[in-house]
Amino acid sequence: MKQLRALVKRNIKLFFKDKGMFFTSLITPMILLILYVTFLANIFKNGFSGALEAFDISERLINGCVGGQLISSILAVSCVTVAFCSNMLMVQDKVTGAINDLMITPVKPAVLAFSYYISTLISTLIICYTATAVCFGYMAFVGWYLAFGDVLLLLLDVFLLVMMGTALSSIINFFLTSQGQISAVGTIISCGYGFISGAYMPISSFGVGLQRVLLFLPGTYGTSLLRNHALNGAFTEMESIGVPSDTIILLKEAFDCNLKFFGHTVSVPIMYIILIVTVIVLVSIYILLNVFKGKKRMTSSK
Amino acid sequence: MKKIIEISHLNKTFGDVEAIKDLSFCVKEGELFAFLGVNGAGKSTTINIMCGRLNKNSGTVIIDDHNIDININDVKKELGVVFQNCLLDQALSVKDNLENRAALYNINGKEFSKRLNELSNLLDFGDFVNRPINKLSGGQRRKIDIARALLHKPKILILDEPTTGLDPQTRKTLWNVIATLRKEENMTVFLTTHYMEEASEANYVVILDDGQIVAEGTPIDLKNKYTGDFIMLYGITEADVAILGMPYEKILGGYCVAVANTKAATELIVKHSEIFNDYEITKGKMDDVFLAVTGKKLMGGAEK
Repeated sequence: MKQLRALVKRNIKLFFKDKGMFFTSLITPMILLILYVTFLANIFKNGFSGALEAFDISERLINGCVGGQLISSILAVSCVTVAFCSNMLMVQDKVTGAINDLMITPVKPAVLAFSYYISTLISTLIICYTATAVCFGYMAFVGWYLAFGDVLLLLLDVFLLVMMGTALSSIINFFLTSQGQISAVGTIISCGYGFISGAYMPISSFGVGLQRVLLFLPGTYGTSLLRNHALNGAFTEMESIGVPSDTIILLKEAFDCNLKFFGHTVSVPIMYIILIVTVIVLVSIYILLNVFKGKKRMTSSK
Repeated sequence: MKKIIEISHLNKTFGDVEAIKDLSFCVKEGELFAFLGVNGAGKSTTINIMCGRLNKNSGTVIIDDHNIDININDVKKELGVVFQNCLLDQALSVKDNLENRAALYNINGKEFSKRLNELSNLLDFGDFVNRPINKLSGGQRRKIDIARALLHKPKILILDEPTTGLDPQTRKTLWNVIATLRKEENMTVFLTTHYMEEASEANYVVILDDGQIVAEGTPIDLKNKYTGDFIMLYGITEADVAILGMPYEKILGGYCVAVANTKAATELIVKHSEIFNDYEITKGKMDDVFLAVTGKKLMGGAEK
């Protein structure tokens, strides 16, 4: 246990001391922020205003909706990209040879593998919960409609997405061994995840074929959970001022709160189940990879 | 003396390449053991197998009565390794690095503070204990590498080319520390080096070429077996040295005559005493031994 604690402490310290790794992890949220500031915010604002022009909707409520869209997108990508960058230490240790120094100690390889998972989880949670706090501050500034329950559920969504991002990055990084591979994976994840999770543009705006493909990716449901809880308060407020539920359902579909898997609406509890099962499956694969690697070492030494 | 490392019929292949071929040797406790070979001879592969970092194809490796196939963790507790390059975390301070690595050997809290203090006194790194590794000079970094290897008081210290690239002063300091450890703690030192003058200080030398042993013995045995003696004659003319009828070469202020051994040198001196007024006799060097057995030269890290 003390060995695990020491390794986790080391990994977290290294992540926060390595400015390159730390700032790389923030690239995607920064891109998203710039996209929103430059034009996405206006597009979404016009979208909400256009859909609700028949109703007397305050500027603050519209801003609350756009803000909800923004923070859910930022959190959705951050949970995964920060996890990937934080977990790059696993590969960097192979590149620098530090892994050799760790492996000549009596530490079991499983403890070493687990330490990367735990430290990535903690580093990513620290950054993502800090980002969540900033997002809440932003929402309070532009239009706060979040209920206490929504806040708690948002925190739970971030936790589950970080668990998923950490497990996924652990599996992918397990196979990487060079600086070039680190850069390639970092670039692909940073650029690509925002699109495939629907963080840059709602999935509903993509073609039907692509939408179907994206609905097979568990990250899509993570984004949708964040959307649901970030926008729920604003939609409740709209309902209370007389916006028909049909209109709200259309808005929910347009902004990925309601996802339809081959015609069936995926409920929020099902989304949670998908995310939890995904985390369990990914963590199991990571464990199996390490067990298999250990057995291979034992067998070939006979 | 107890055999602390016993390697028997060790084989290792990488694909079609045979890196280690039927390697067998022993290291006695408290000994300075030199393991020589050009790059790619199989030295690092052997060390990696001993440390459990690489699997072997066949053979047995027993370290301090522990078979690495049965419990590698017991073996790891007995080994301290100084790698060719510094493998510590560059962004972290000396103290953070040592504290972290010590915890992996279950050395924590006051026990660690005490050990840090001991090592700091031994290696004289108290002035830069809070400095990040990437801000240290090459010599300072090497001291910390050695401190890291000694954290858990290992019985065997493996030094994989520890002085390559270091200035003579730092090299001398490190060898003084190692001599102290051998004397006071009876530590066994397993050394690979490209500096033959370091190897000539060893109790026993194994020379490896292409994955197999090509020569082994004490430095003096190896010198006697693979090289002759050299007589340095000063203050004579080339005509004088030619009279000896032995191969010679010009050196600064005189000539160097190669003879088969010390007995032959003595006979030559007795026979031609008139020209032996200012002279010295030296044994061949480990470089000559290495060249004789491998056909290759080791020059500060590079094969020639």
